[in-house]
Amino acid sequence: MTTFRKLLMTTCVAAGALASAFGIATNSASADEPKKFKIFLSLSYSGNAWQSEAANIVKALAQTPPYDKEVELKEVISGTDPQAQIAAYESMIDAKADGVISFPISSSALNRTVKKGCEKGVLFFMYDATVTEPCAYNVSYITAGFGENTAQALVNALNGKGKIFLSRGVPGNSVDKRHTDGAMHIFKQYPGIQVVAEYYSFWDDRTTQQETAKALAAHPDVDGIWAQAGEFGAIQALRDKGTRLVPMTGENSNGFRLALADPEAQKDGLKGVSAGSPPATAGYAFKLMMEILTKKRDLKAMNIQYPLPWVPADKVKLCKGDTFEDGCNTFPDGKVPSSFVTEVFSPEFLPELSLKSALDGAPTPGKTIQPLPAEVVKAPNEPGINCQKCEPPADLYKLTKSSRP
Amino acid sequence: MTGARPSAALQPPADTRRIGRIRSETISTAAIFALTIILILASRFVSPALGSWDQVDTIITLASFLIVVAFGQGLVILVGGLDLSIASMITLGGVLATTWNGSLGSEWVLIPAVLLTCACVGALNAVGVIWLNIPPFIMTMASGIMVASAALGYTSGTPRGAAPDVFLALMKGSVGSVSAVLIFVLIFVLLAWGLQSATAFGRRLYAVGANREAARIAGVTTWRPIMAAYAISAICAGFAGMMLVGYANGATLRMGDSYLLPSIASVVIGGSSILGGRGSFAATVGGAILLTTLGTVISALGMDQGWRTVIEGAIIVGALLILREDLVARLRNRSAG
Amino acid sequence: MSASADAAAASVPGSNLGVAIRRGLTDGAGVVAILYVILFTLYALWDRSALTVSGVTNLSNNAAPLALAAAGESLVVISKGFDLSVSGIVSLSNVLMATYPVEGPGGALVSLMICLGVGGAIGVLNGILVAVLRLQSIAATLGTMIMGQGLALVIMDAPGGTIADWVSYTLTDVLFGIIPISGLIVLAVVALWLIFRRTDTCLGVFAVGADETAASLSGISVVRARFAAFVGAGLLYGLAGFMLSVQTATGNPTAGTPFLMLTFAAVALGGVSLTGGRGSLVGAVIGAATLMLLQKVLFSGGVSSFYTGIFQGAVMVLAIVFGSLISRLASTEPRA
Repeated sequence: MTTFRKLLMTTCVAAGALASAFGIATNSASADEPKKFKIFLSLSYSGNAWQSEAANIVKALAQTPPYDKEVELKEVISGTDPQAQIAAYESMIDAKADGVISFPISSSALNRTVKKGCEKGVLFFMYDATVTEPCAYNVSYITAGFGENTAQALVNALNGKGKIFLSRGVPGNSVDKRHTDGAMHIFKQYPGIQVVAEYYSFWDDRTTQQETAKALAAHPDVDGIWAQAGEFGAIQALRDKGTRLVPMTGENSNGFRLALADPEAQKDGLKGVSAGSPPATAGYAFKLMMEILTKKRDLKAMNIQYPLPWVPADKVKLCKGDTFEDGCNTFPDGKVPSSFVTEVFSPEFLPELSLKSALDGAPTPGKTIQPLPAEVVKAPNEPGINCQKCEPPADLYKLTKSSRP
Repeated sequence: MTGARPSAALQPPADTRRIGRIRSETISTAAIFALTIILILASRFVSPALGSWDQVDTIITLASFLIVVAFGQGLVILVGGLDLSIASMITLGGVLATTWNGSLGSEWVLIPAVLLTCACVGALNAVGVIWLNIPPFIMTMASGIMVASAALGYTSGTPRGAAPDVFLALMKGSVGSVSAVLIFVLIFVLLAWGLQSATAFGRRLYAVGANREAARIAGVTTWRPIMAAYAISAICAGFAGMMLVGYANGATLRMGDSYLLPSIASVVIGGSSILGGRGSFAATVGGAILLTTLGTVISALGMDQGWRTVIEGAIIVGALLILREDLVARLRNRSAG
Repeated sequence: MSASADAAAASVPGSNLGVAIRRGLTDGAGVVAILYVILFTLYALWDRSALTVSGVTNLSNNAAPLALAAAGESLVVISKGFDLSVSGIVSLSNVLMATYPVEGPGGALVSLMICLGVGGAIGVLNGILVAVLRLQSIAATLGTMIMGQGLALVIMDAPGGTIADWVSYTLTDVLFGIIPISGLIVLAVVALWLIFRRTDTCLGVFAVGADETAASLSGISVVRARFAAFVGAGLLYGLAGFMLSVQTATGNPTAGTPFLMLTFAAVALGGVSLTGGRGSLVGAVIGAATLMLLQKVLFSGGVSSFYTGIFQGAVMVLAIVFGSLISRLASTEPRA
């Protein structure tokens, strides 16, 4: 039986019918059971709001009709060790997965295992973080220019002059480097902008708060803060020192958005923009993968860009219900923790989701999966992010959301 | 510092061994605080705003978590163990304090309940170490992994709820012009130092750590101080978790990770032996403050993270070499006794 | 000198097979080997790909870096020390290899020399700080670990670079269609250990770890033994960094970070006493292999997601309890 199955599979793979190979193989084994796609959700780690929201919405989508009949989803958390994720991928390939949807811990270390999996017909979809192996799909906002756009917005808020902090992510990480390179590209064009402190906050509120407190001890006269995720911690650090706030840019925590819209905080000096990494990418990637598996889509582009969320203070709008409707993008205080990443929804891509999906991984009653828009945005090449040896476009750091005054 | 060597060597053995130990501990504590002050003063060269009272205040606030955790870690190390579960215990303390907040009625029920839960895990560590003969390293590492996993499952990834008001007041409030946390740290250090250095319980910890067999023959029920050390360590970590929750007003699941290595480092840089039986909490506090100060100064240096990290490592080694002189004197004193 | 001869006599394995087995069980290597076999059986029952050549090669490639790092750590732990510099050395050798890839067998040799050089140099530094200047090992190596991590970031500020194809493909391949090369490299280290175990230096390492004062009184050079342990460890970490680079085929300035806790766990699981003087490099190697296998077992057993950690922790604790039970049985019934 096994040899027969193997033989059959090899033939099918050779014939190029990658997706259907598993279907035929399993159908021949058990004819009356409807075939379910075997999909693994591979997290490197869990434990911050972003990671669990991203995982939760994938789980919620997998239980939303008709996916609930089509998918067998299994979540694996392997920790911050790339080798553990390599081992997890290998196990998934051995378990004859149809697809792996994953947040990769390293942009390069997993490449060989991913390639091995592709050769065996496994679809690999990476969300948010990317790998440089060309056979994997990368679905991410990284190429959408978070760094340069927020930097320009901060420069504009400071009228081109002032002392600023850079609150970065994780040292030695490709995403952190891409964001910071983009930001520095802008800051360097303004001689009046002086980066007085640059520290690593590990994309965490509490660490941001502590590191910002240290930087404030050395530079109490800071004029602005450019922050990656964890930005709400920077506000708390400023508040710990007194009432003065400064213009700052950051990512999508609910706490930061509420502060941006808070008239009192504005009076104390806060202005800026909320942009950055949306957990919704995970749901979008999952639906893309499902549309390929169910043969509803033929996806040529391997690197797909998710739009960069962009919410300046005057665009913050509170949601009355449990999802983004009528253009709202923030939840009232107390409904979610301040570290909750709001960009978990998307009326365009993920109308099936509600707050319950993001917090508990539960499907929204009465909703069914809606098809994605036919068009996808192809991401530009970025060496070290989504390709290994490639040329970046000439206008790599072009501004798309903010502009020079 | 240099005067200590000949005088220590001249001590007649046996009789003054305890006095000698106390004296050399005083010297090493003084040395480590002197280093910290030099570092703070030198930091003026890095940024003119540094070296101020404001910086000291920031350092004490940031070091307060580490000081509390390092006390527990120090006790476990003193009895010849090592506690790797503290990272998860910090998280547990924080997560329970926020999720149970409001559901247990009063905060005066909540806090003991959280600390008791932590103490139970600490006691379980001790059971494994004492009776099942599991190396402390493996036992506490395993329990740490298990607690972290349980916390992840319990919160399904997103801890909810706000910090108890007491801890908000502790971390944000002030008494007159002095911040509350500074007063808390002073009281905590005095009490903890007293417990470790001036009580019969403390003496039993040293005795068990120096030589468990000898302590048993001398009539100490050896399991009690060991179990107490692990339980106190878990309580301290849980408490630090609640302080962190008060500081940032919310819990996250990896909030303890960045305290594991520094807690061991504070104890060891303070001159305690990693193998147990020797060390003082005052010097550990010095170690914790020195490490935090170093972090503050390093982060103000205007250079690449790579070079900053290299310099941080080099300064740690340098500090150890400076403090070593004293170590030699102590070793001499011990071998004389 | 006579004392060291006595120690030599005591630690030479008995010619009697029963004695040897009993010794193996009590020094931990045998116990962890039994555990490995049990876990592997479970894995093979749940997942038949475990028994294929590619399954075994995967296991071997995954375990090799950690096994080599744990082997190095066991030398220092036996001499009653802690060496945290492992994560610095692994990161540093990884980024160096990815920054300067050299193709072909000669290239592999050059890269290997670079890795061993880095590991050896930091090992020498550790040796000077701990053995000569008498700093506490855990504190001194914390400093060198941080320096190593910093240097890795200086050389490479984000993951990137490539390992030469020849190096990374050949060394993860199989010999004669069945023997994984990474496994052979680990076996070579074990063979070196078996030779080293008969030298005076190794006796010194054990003696110093068991009782420094007694060792020094009996004429063993404490400084030399400690120094040798740290340099040997540094070289092995360099080799671990080499094998990690071969497996991941790329550079990452934080590649070594996960090794810190895992090496100690492997060493302890392998029956090496963390208070010094007892244990074997072989145990540490099997301990590392067991840790890596555990992930596969949990996956194939269907345990996943949030509660994996509870099983991981429980298996670690049970392994030790089980180990001490077996060694107690073995030592109370000498004829077993």
